[in-house]
Amino acid sequence: MRIAALVDLANRTLRADPRRALVDTVACCAGAAALVFFVALGLGTGDAVRRLFPGEARLVEVIPSGVSLGPVLGGARLDDVAVGRLRALRGVAAAYPKLNLRVPVTASRAPEGLGIYWPPNLALQVPSVGVPRELVADDLPKGAPFADPGPGGAIPVVLAKRLLEVYNGTIAPSWGSRRLPPGPALVGLQVPIQIGQSMLMYRTEKRVVEGRLVLAGFSDRVPLYQAALPIETVRRLHQEYGKTDEGYSSVAVFAREPDDVPSIAAAVRRMGFAVDQGERAVAERIGSVIALATAALSLLAVLMLALAALAVAQSLFATVRARAKELAVLRAVGASASDVRTMVLAEAALLGLFGGVLGAVVARLAALAADALLARMLPELPFLPETFFAFSWWVWMLGPLVSMAAALAGAVAPASLAARLDPARALA
Amino acid sequence: MIALRGVSKEFRDGGSAQRVLDGVDLDVAPGELVAVVGPSGSGKSTLLYIAGGLDAAFGGEASVAGRAWKGLGETERARLRGATVGFVFQSFNLLPTMSALDNVCLPAHFRDAPGSRAEVAARGRSALERVGLADKAHKSPSQLSGGERQRVAIARALFAEPRVLLADEPTGNLDEHTGAAVIATFGELARAGLAVMVVTHEQRVSSAASRVLHLEHGRLFA
Repeated sequence: MRIAALVDLANRTLRADPRRALVDTVACCAGAAALVFFVALGLGTGDAVRRLFPGEARLVEVIPSGVSLGPVLGGARLDDVAVGRLRALRGVAAAYPKLNLRVPVTASRAPEGLGIYWPPNLALQVPSVGVPRELVADDLPKGAPFADPGPGGAIPVVLAKRLLEVYNGTIAPSWGSRRLPPGPALVGLQVPIQIGQSMLMYRTEKRVVEGRLVLAGFSDRVPLYQAALPIETVRRLHQEYGKTDEGYSSVAVFAREPDDVPSIAAAVRRMGFAVDQGERAVAERIGSVIALATAALSLLAVLMLALAALAVAQSLFATVRARAKELAVLRAVGASASDVRTMVLAEAALLGLFGGVLGAVVARLAALAADALLARMLPELPFLPETFFAFSWWVWMLGPLVSMAAALAGAVAPASLAARLDPARALA
Repeated sequence: MIALRGVSKEFRDGGSAQRVLDGVDLDVAPGELVAVVGPSGSGKSTLLYIAGGLDAAFGGEASVAGRAWKGLGETERARLRGATVGFVFQSFNLLPTMSALDNVCLPAHFRDAPGSRAEVAARGRSALERVGLADKAHKSPSQLSGGERQRVAIARALFAEPRVLLADEPTGNLDEHTGAAVIATFGELARAGLAVMVVTHEQRVSSAASRVLHLEHGRLFA
């Protein structure tokens, strides 16, 4: 039986009993809408968490072990030799050493050229880490310098992309200051600093010099609470302030594939180092909770779809019995039992399709309403997403597909009954 | 065209079996209008459905257009039925959601290569013209009289240009005048070369038939 003929007959049958069709469509619509809504919510909140904790799937952050048995039993010092050994591990694509600046740096004046409000007597400690250019190179504007400028020069700095959101979301509103434009517009911005100055008096160095930071870019590879400087600058400042060499603070190891991460982490631990779970572990925990909640809610939606399937089955059983003579006439004019079965399944598929498309639209509208409601109810927070829902193409497809699958599952038994009807007996 | 040899049929009612057809032999040739008459419950409709391949559970042999129904799969039987047999029923059995033309074109839905939509509609109109209802093509069954509905049903049976027409009490729901017109139509179709078999309990059909057979106690008598 041709598809066009099948759809035509199924469509006519549904139009013959619009009330029944409406009830079944609504049942499918409710299940599909719930499933699409919850899946989109799970994906959307997952995206929000990933934006909040943009950990790279290939990253293993290596830190010295808290309990070190010394270099004899594998070595706990992160020096160039250790970095070389880390680079040589199977599955490692690159390893970048990081060195925390142990000389305090404080900003006590507003960045130049922005004209933003800076509260009087406010001094901000700038926790800094030295990184090689390669670590942040992809996030720097083309040709932008990220090297030690030497004594007295403006030190290039890369900040976390999320820092801007924190400022615009919390600091700017509380200071009554204007919000900052997107990251690229701020590149080149200069911030006056005091090198050697600490907010804690006892930590302030004997020698405090004026300096300036020049914003080179924003990167997700820089932690939220740190400013990334060229590692050569950190080494120079350590030398100038007489800080002893204690090895690197950490090493960012990138696996070739995310699947290589567990084996690399195990090898790192065998070498006597630790792996900083940090934000990634938090993100994974939150992600797991979201996935679990999404799965639970989706299960609820699947139960609703199962009920829709039962509703479709019940109404199709009734209609097949009521239309026994009509089905027998179709057999008399040339329909096979298989044609009749396919017709009943096609009716269910059409119901499921209508219900599913409608359900996806209802879910989208409900998501828009939920976003609007949350935007009004929640306080202004950094990282608050514009939407808590993600409607990718496959989420849109999910509604019609699962709804059709549910309706078809409900139609299997009635379709079989229709195919088994004895036309001679029905016509007699 | 229709050949039945030793056809028998039993219906089981609880533990007992009732034999409604008992070794029926029948041949209906092209151009012949055969009336099978008999009282209600005598097995006339059963005989008709066996002849048209709607009932596959019977004893003996039945064939149409030289092809035996037995041994064919369910789908093959449906295709043979659609291509060679037209059915007309007492209660017309038109689909109420379709226009007269759509009802006539219904068999096209189950053909593998029915032709374009325009071709199908043209054939449907042609079938309606044969029964004198070309002007009622777009009427729904509820807008037609009983006689008109039966003529639409005849047009539907003729749509596939069958070689055999089987009618089950075709005048049962019609008044005398309309019934006579329908019987006359069957006579014309038989003269045009169709093998027509009408089962009825009304003796008036006999007047137009080339042969009248009586079905009693499961057997046919001339």
